[in-house]
Amino acid sequence: MTSLYSYSFLILLLPLLSFAVNGLFLCRKSRKASAAFSVLCAGLAAAYAISVALAFFTNGATPTVAWQFRFLPIVGDFNANIGLLLDPLSVMMLVVVTSIAFFVNIYSIGYMREDMSSGRFFALLSLFAFSMLGLVIATNILQMFVFWELVGVSSYMLIGFWYHKPSAVSASKQAFILTRFADSFFLLGMVLVSYAVKSFDFAALNAVNLKDFASIPLNLGIMVMPASDALTIGAALIFVGGWGKSAMFPMHIWLPNAMEGPTPVSSIIHSATMVVAGVYLVARLFPFMAGAGNTLCIVMVVGAFTAIFAAVIACTQKDIKRILAYSTLSQLGYMMFSLGASRLCDGSINTLGYTASTFHIFTHAFFKCMLFLVAGSLIHQVHTNDLDAMGGLRKKMPFTYIATLIACLAIAGIPPFSGFFSKDEILMTAFQSGHVAVFATGLLTSGLTAFYMFRLFFLAFHGKARSEHTAHAHEDFAMTLPIVCLAVPSLLSGLLAKNIFATKFVPGALPVATAEHLAHATWIPYAAGGMAVLGILIAALFYARPKANIERALDVDNRCKLYKTINHKFYFDEIYYAVVRQFIFRGVAASARFVEDWIIGSLVNATLFVVRKAGALVREAENGYLPFYVGVMIVGVIFWYFVGKLPL
Amino acid sequence: MILQNAILPDILLVLFPFIVLALRIFASKHEKLQWYAANIVLFTVFIWQNCLMLGNTQIYLSNWKIDTFGIFMREVFVLGSICALWFAKDYFDHASTGKARLKEFPEFIATMGFATLGGVIVVSANDLITLFIGLELATIPMYALTAWNKKDSEGSEAAVKFILMGSAATAFELFGFSYLYGFAGSLNMPQIATEVAKNASSPLLWISVLFLISGVGFKLTLFPFHTWAPDVYDGAPTPVTALLSVTSKAVAIAFVAVLVFGPFAAVQQTVAPFLALLAGLTLLAGNLGALKQSKLRRFMAYSSISQAGYILVAVLGPETNAKFAIVYYLFLYTFANYLAFFIFGIVGQNRKEDFVSLRGLSKQNLTLAIGLVVALMSLAGIPPLAGFFGKFHLFFAAAETKHYALVTFAVLNNVLALYYYIQVLKAAWIDKPEVEPCALQITCRQKAAVIILMIGVIACGFVPMLANNLFAGLKF
Repeated sequence: MTSLYSYSFLILLLPLLSFAVNGLFLCRKSRKASAAFSVLCAGLAAAYAISVALAFFTNGATPTVAWQFRFLPIVGDFNANIGLLLDPLSVMMLVVVTSIAFFVNIYSIGYMREDMSSGRFFALLSLFAFSMLGLVIATNILQMFVFWELVGVSSYMLIGFWYHKPSAVSASKQAFILTRFADSFFLLGMVLVSYAVKSFDFAALNAVNLKDFASIPLNLGIMVMPASDALTIGAALIFVGGWGKSAMFPMHIWLPNAMEGPTPVSSIIHSATMVVAGVYLVARLFPFMAGAGNTLCIVMVVGAFTAIFAAVIACTQKDIKRILAYSTLSQLGYMMFSLGASRLCDGSINTLGYTASTFHIFTHAFFKCMLFLVAGSLIHQVHTNDLDAMGGLRKKMPFTYIATLIACLAIAGIPPFSGFFSKDEILMTAFQSGHVAVFATGLLTSGLTAFYMFRLFFLAFHGKARSEHTAHAHEDFAMTLPIVCLAVPSLLSGLLAKNIFATKFVPGALPVATAEHLAHATWIPYAAGGMAVLGILIAALFYARPKANIERALDVDNRCKLYKTINHKFYFDEIYYAVVRQFIFRGVAASARFVEDWIIGSLVNATLFVVRKAGALVREAENGYLPFYVGVMIVGVIFWYFVGKLPL
Repeated sequence: MILQNAILPDILLVLFPFIVLALRIFASKHEKLQWYAANIVLFTVFIWQNCLMLGNTQIYLSNWKIDTFGIFMREVFVLGSICALWFAKDYFDHASTGKARLKEFPEFIATMGFATLGGVIVVSANDLITLFIGLELATIPMYALTAWNKKDSEGSEAAVKFILMGSAATAFELFGFSYLYGFAGSLNMPQIATEVAKNASSPLLWISVLFLISGVGFKLTLFPFHTWAPDVYDGAPTPVTALLSVTSKAVAIAFVAVLVFGPFAAVQQTVAPFLALLAGLTLLAGNLGALKQSKLRRFMAYSSISQAGYILVAVLGPETNAKFAIVYYLFLYTFANYLAFFIFGIVGQNRKEDFVSLRGLSKQNLTLAIGLVVALMSLAGIPPLAGFFGKFHLFFAAAETKHYALVTFAVLNNVLALYYYIQVLKAAWIDKPEVEPCALQITCRQKAAVIILMIGVIACGFVPMLANNLFAGLKF
């Protein structure tokens, strides 16, 4: 078993190998070979990850560092390490990331079949999986940050994969710049926190008790503050990194726009890599965040608001990928506020929040991945993202239809599908936290989720066909296989994994008191289930009734102001556009340009002039005339006699 | 046990030139025999030196000292000789267009062997006479090697310049040695060291320091004693240029290190400002001179002048750090410099050795073009190549003794260095050739050497990352 652990770095190396081999050799030679190699590596990695997980959970699930080496000594005992951490959270993520990557790789064989540069695609997909795996197994925050940025870069390259499309290019830039903007806060927070704690290790950060730091002054260069205050600020700054990566409001706009990438990319971004990283960061640092003042309150408010905000927008969209994107935002909001709501009003911590959130990461990954794969299949057959052109696909794509139904029931939270269990626990956390508004938001969002998912479901699969493409629709084997496979965990993962999560996924020792004896409201599952059923019924009433007026349902022009505002995503794209155009381009960028052109430019030119002249002097001294050279030597000795600062 | 006997490889190295010459005289019919013998002996010596126990100092016959630094420097010298041997082989095998073919290879090997031996003597010397003999033995063969091609008037001119200026430098050195003897009353280095520690303010001592450093400044191409280098590098046959830029430089820096950490150990920080000024001006002069060159060997001359400045920076640091940094840097400097020279040699086979000839190299031969990137980026100090870590350790040593101004100056100078190294890469990768370049002739030996050296440069960069400190626990 120890050898199984000590070779677990293979889980990382296999995708990296696939990236290197594909990127350097295969992608130009043979697209088939690169697809096969990529799938093989992803499959081996998934198999290894699952065997590690089995060994880990059957042997008591004690956190271990499988291997670690120091790659940068900083000062004294303060080192930057690279390591591989195996604890319940990281093992769970290893399984999720590798298995999702495996399915997405298989799916991409079908989806990218006509794309000439699919070799590059497989290489980048492997890089993406590698980056996320590196992030997940990080033993310290610096290592996590390195892979965090790698995730950003690889997502940039994948979203802009079709670089001939201007919209894809701008979407990739938007995603990169916006997450990078948030990451700069993460970096600041990381520096601040590691400076105060004198360690990067999660173990050390999570053991921080602010009371011990209250009396230590910390010199920040411009000011001196108690180390405990610096740690609280640092925690909040680190969370901002997760805020941007997980696309929480108001940094959410990049995620729906990132739909310009190929659908397998959207699928892997939304389920296992990239956006989950933000939630993972907060979960990884949970004891630290729990101890750091009101940081978790910020997490809760941001999460809860994003959950309902995105759900409302999703109800009016027509682009299936965008609906799913907003649904992801909403679900990420759930995960975030579940972590945040762990902190009760009296400051004690309810560990159920952590359990519920990690559980939801797990269940959500499967059904969200699968929903995107379904969306990709539909788009592949109908050649558009628009619900206008779909309808009646039930007969043409029966397997996809059944699988989608399972996923929709799972995300809506109908028992016994997987989403029900995790969502139930999240709502329980919200209820126990005593924040009534948050609980109400969660419950309402759960109803909205059921509504917009079944709106999509009915409009795509039921009713009459609304375009001729639907007539030729069929199921592609490579694309349907992963969808059907993923239907199994969508159905069962909640039921089977419930106990593991309840017993193993509790945060380590907390620096603050744990909340005990909380009311266990037995009616919450019924309320949540009821809201979901209600949402489904309303969706059925609008869109699946035989007499339903589909034209009216899909009409966006003759609508009231409120509907239009929501349909335009509260005009957030436009607001961003205006701010960037007017403030950043005209204001900040223009003045920076002035400094660059006139002040820095002339400094550079002056330096260049001096260097050129001096260079000419040195070169002209080489005149090839021997007496001159010997003379220079003698003068040189005399020169150094006077200039050499020797005590003569 | 015989493998750990430190004196035997030295004896083998003393015999090496004679073995080659004897084979030349008594077995002159077998043309390749001397080449094989030279290879066998040099590799044997190199492997043998790698087996020696590090960490203890042994003294033979009171003036032959073998210590850790000495063993590492021996490895550098022998490695340089092996590279030079392989590099020179092709110049003797076949003619290149426009240039006369070099002749008398066995004699060339023997002469080179004497120069290598000179370096070994310098790092083993325990008294001034031995030190002086070593330095001269390392220099005089170089004069002969520079003029090896008797029909080449440029080579002869370079050799004349070299020998005249070298004689002047030797005069400086002897002058310095004589004052040092007058000051200390002894030739033995430990005794001089105790005298220096006792009476550090004597003008006799400081005159001798000034002249000794100036004298060796000629060999190390320190400012303003560097003037011979561009002309000699340009005029000498290319293998000799490579040998000058690596072995000769390594001998000179070893000489400085032996002096500064031996007899002058007590006054190291008093000499430091002088060395700092020398290093700063040298690397500036080298960098400025290299900015607008069109001939490759002249360019390498200026590049090696600035490299000498960088290496001298380390001498300001504490002994262990400085010696470690120097040894490590010399290893990778040998790799990178010979890699560049191999490529220039291959390109220069049928063309002029200037920047224009490099054009279109990336299209013609990708391996060479990548090798050029590796070599020059390493010389420029770009991570993760070896040069970065080498320079890091050099600067780190000087920073340990708080010479921050010099370190900052050296780092800023690196920007200039990057500029001219990239000029070469631009010629090889971006500039379009005006006429279709003639085909390159590459032998298997050259190809193997390029690939091995490339691996060497990259490995030197990664090894210290894997093992925290390659030389951890060693005291020099």
